[in-house]
Amino acid sequence: MPLSTSSLRARIESSLGQHLSSTLFLREKAAPLTVSTGVAKLDALTGGLPRGALSEITGPVSSGRTGVMLAALAGATRREEACALVDASDSFDPASASAAGVDLDRLLWLRCSDNNSSSPRRSSRRSSLGRLEQVLKVTDLLLQGGGFGMVVLDLGDIPPESARRVPLTSWFRFRRAVEPTATVLLVLEQEPCAKTCASLVVRLQRIAMCASNAALLLQETEIHGWKVLSHAEPAIPSANEISHAALLQGMQLHAEVLRSWTQRKPVHSVGANFELRAAW
Amino acid sequence: MFACIYIPDFPVAAIIRVEPLLRDRAVAVLDGKPPQVRVAALNNKARLLGMNIGMTKIQAAIFAIPQHEGDTSATAKSDRKKKSPPIELDSQRIKAQSKPAAAILRQRSTAQEESSHAALLDVVHAFTPRVEDTHPDRLLLDLDGLERLYGPPSAIARELASRVSTLGLDANIGVAANSDAAMHAACGFGGVTVIPAGEEARRLGVLPINVLLDSFEITGSNSSENSTAAREREKLSEQMFDTLERWGVRDFRTLALLPEHALAARLGEAGAHLQRLARGATMRTLALCEPSVRFEEAMDLESPVETLEPLSFLLNRTLDQLCTRLEARALAVQELTLRLQLEPRVGDEQAITLEELAGASHTALLPSSGPSGTITTEAQRSQRNFLKDTPCSKPARSELEGCLHGKSFSFEYSNGNLYARTLRLPVAMRDSNVFLKLLQLDLSAHPPGAPVCKLWITAEPAIPRSAQRGLFLPVTPEAEKLEITLARITGVVGERRAGIAKLLDTHRPAAFRMERFVSQTESQTTEASPTLSGWATEAPIALRIFRPARQVRVQVSEGRPCNLVPPARNGERDALRGKILWSAGPWRSSGDWWAQQSSAQHSTEDAQVWDREEWDIALASGKNVDVVLYRIYRDIATGDWFADASYD
Repeated sequence: MPLSTSSLRARIESSLGQHLSSTLFLREKAAPLTVSTGVAKLDALTGGLPRGALSEITGPVSSGRTGVMLAALAGATRREEACALVDASDSFDPASASAAGVDLDRLLWLRCSDNNSSSPRRSSRRSSLGRLEQVLKVTDLLLQGGGFGMVVLDLGDIPPESARRVPLTSWFRFRRAVEPTATVLLVLEQEPCAKTCASLVVRLQRIAMCASNAALLLQETEIHGWKVLSHAEPAIPSANEISHAALLQGMQLHAEVLRSWTQRKPVHSVGANFELRAAW
Repeated sequence: MFACIYIPDFPVAAIIRVEPLLRDRAVAVLDGKPPQVRVAALNNKARLLGMNIGMTKIQAAIFAIPQHEGDTSATAKSDRKKKSPPIELDSQRIKAQSKPAAAILRQRSTAQEESSHAALLDVVHAFTPRVEDTHPDRLLLDLDGLERLYGPPSAIARELASRVSTLGLDANIGVAANSDAAMHAACGFGGVTVIPAGEEARRLGVLPINVLLDSFEITGSNSSENSTAAREREKLSEQMFDTLERWGVRDFRTLALLPEHALAARLGEAGAHLQRLARGATMRTLALCEPSVRFEEAMDLESPVETLEPLSFLLNRTLDQLCTRLEARALAVQELTLRLQLEPRVGDEQAITLEELAGASHTALLPSSGPSGTITTEAQRSQRNFLKDTPCSKPARSELEGCLHGKSFSFEYSNGNLYARTLRLPVAMRDSNVFLKLLQLDLSAHPPGAPVCKLWITAEPAIPRSAQRGLFLPVTPEAEKLEITLARITGVVGERRAGIAKLLDTHRPAAFRMERFVSQTESQTTEASPTLSGWATEAPIALRIFRPARQVRVQVSEGRPCNLVPPARNGERDALRGKILWSAGPWRSSGDWWAQQSSAQHSTEDAQVWDREEWDIALASGKNVDVVLYRIYRDIATGDWFADASYD
């Protein structure tokens, strides 16, 4: 009597399954370990930044991307992990980072720039490299070297049309490089460009800005579709510090998940609102 | 028990250690100043060719001619015949031509001999601290107490031979109950010889008398003895050898059998001492030496090396030897200095002196006296392209600052054709591959600029890392890999553009200093910033700095900025234009005005005068009327406006 397919499979699995598990069994992909973004509402929305995967945080200028990046870096350095920041436009502010809680001693800052003139002998060669090429090279080296808990590619000031020119193979290579590691690869940009290589894509948008101490605004109003909040002027701190940035606190952001490792294609857009706080 | 390590033909062995490919070749070492250049040492293969110690350079050169050249250049042969003793040379030439391989002639290298001797001492000191540095080619060890570690004396001797062979040296090992007998056994017999106590006279009896006189000459002298006394001793030794030769005494046994009193009456106390040595009946205390703390390997190059690739091979070999020495002493490297002697070139007088560069720097590592290179190079050789760079160009100021602030590499130049690079490691390492890669990356970034004639590598020893890693420790990069990665990255982004940012104790905006990134695994955990408290739920506002600040034109209305237009010459900054929706400010700040006079002498990280008026603005710009927050400021001194940063 011929055996049915299921019984035949069950027999084969029982006899050879231990040795041929990879071929006979459908392996379920385990959920990746995640780390906190440093923002509770964003963690609740996204489940955290996955380790061994590529995550993208996108948004226009002044949408709070850098703040989220610093919060994530602060969390990573607080866990005593080594972090690296590939700064495509040399725009990182160590004072902001320190105020946000980033342990600068654990953050390797790589300042890419096409106007590099530190070594006149090689300036001609370097200028031809271009920022993006430097970023890709440096990121490759970092990921191959390994050992970093979080690697951040800051392409926030790179125009989207330039960032889109990064070949998809590079993103694949980066994803493959971090997959077997515990590294969080975080990319900051204006528009998503890693496509299917990204495990998590979050778009940030500012929904309200704060205009504290603004002379022109006396109450909550709307300018060009933006809600503008006017707060009373806060007290000047006693410390002799440049404190005007403190007036910006209260900026409201909206985060939207475009792609997630929990749902491959989250067609329904989910979002959360949270505020930025000035760290100074 | 005592052991003696003897390296036969030590000058040749020192050269073969650096050039292992010569191991199967006949090698002769030349020494002396022209025209008195003679063969000072040779190996057994060279002896089989018919070469002897004391040959002139011209005589030795006959044996260095390859066979096919010897057959074809008949004219040259006749010329050489005229210059050399006719009969002897002719027979020697015939012998040489009958052999397939020609001899290799090398100039004697004192530096390489010193390196080999130091390496030998390092290996021996790993066995026991009771070591006598008898002579460059022989060392004496007291083996008392080593049986528990290594077993019987024969096992100790085999282990010694094995360790010495890792250095690339072939040693004879002699073990005996007294130090002199051990030395005679090592010098007289090949390989490992163990003489049980009481059998010294019988076992040593077959040795020729010149072995005894050699050791008599060496052990009788000491370091404080001046050259006149040494010559006297040499003369005495030669006289004794002649006397014993006339008496027909040609080996130890014959000398040992002579009547003691009669010998003393004829040759004095020295003769009696010689007889006791021949009987293996002497006993003396070893003059112990301290282990060296200096690890240096040198290599003389026969012909200058012009490109990085062959230089890398030489560096690899030298680093391997250095790491073997360090491994023998269970040490690692904290700082590595590479010095290259360059071929003389035109315009060296324009080179920057060490004092000029280092200034008050504490990183000066060059010795006060220049290296004594012995290799002869072709003077005034035509200039060659060495990696298309010049060593005489003044380095960038930023590089000098990097040196002063503890960068991974520093540089030192000298006007004596000496080029030096120093590699400072954040943690102690002992991986020659890592060192090689770091030096390669550094040399490719900072090429010497001229062919290399000689190289030295000096290691600053340190205690190796001892870290007990755990399974649940945070992720940190491996120190060795990290160094290579950083060196590669520095090659891409440039000097001082990879590291950690250290905030300076000043109110000056964006004041920081770049420092070297070090993996924090072994270091103390830094204290958490006080701003961290209660900081987990909200993201901070951050600044994105424009480096350099972008100049803008601001239209001011009622004392407040109201419109932003880019300068006419900078039309591509489209983002920085538009209507200012609101503005907050001004906040005035100034500082370092007290250091205005001396600011010119300071680096960029030091005092810089600033006096500015800052504004936060919301700018409506772009096609989609996006609102972006910027920080702009007006330079009070010039009245110019600049966009400093954006809020994100």
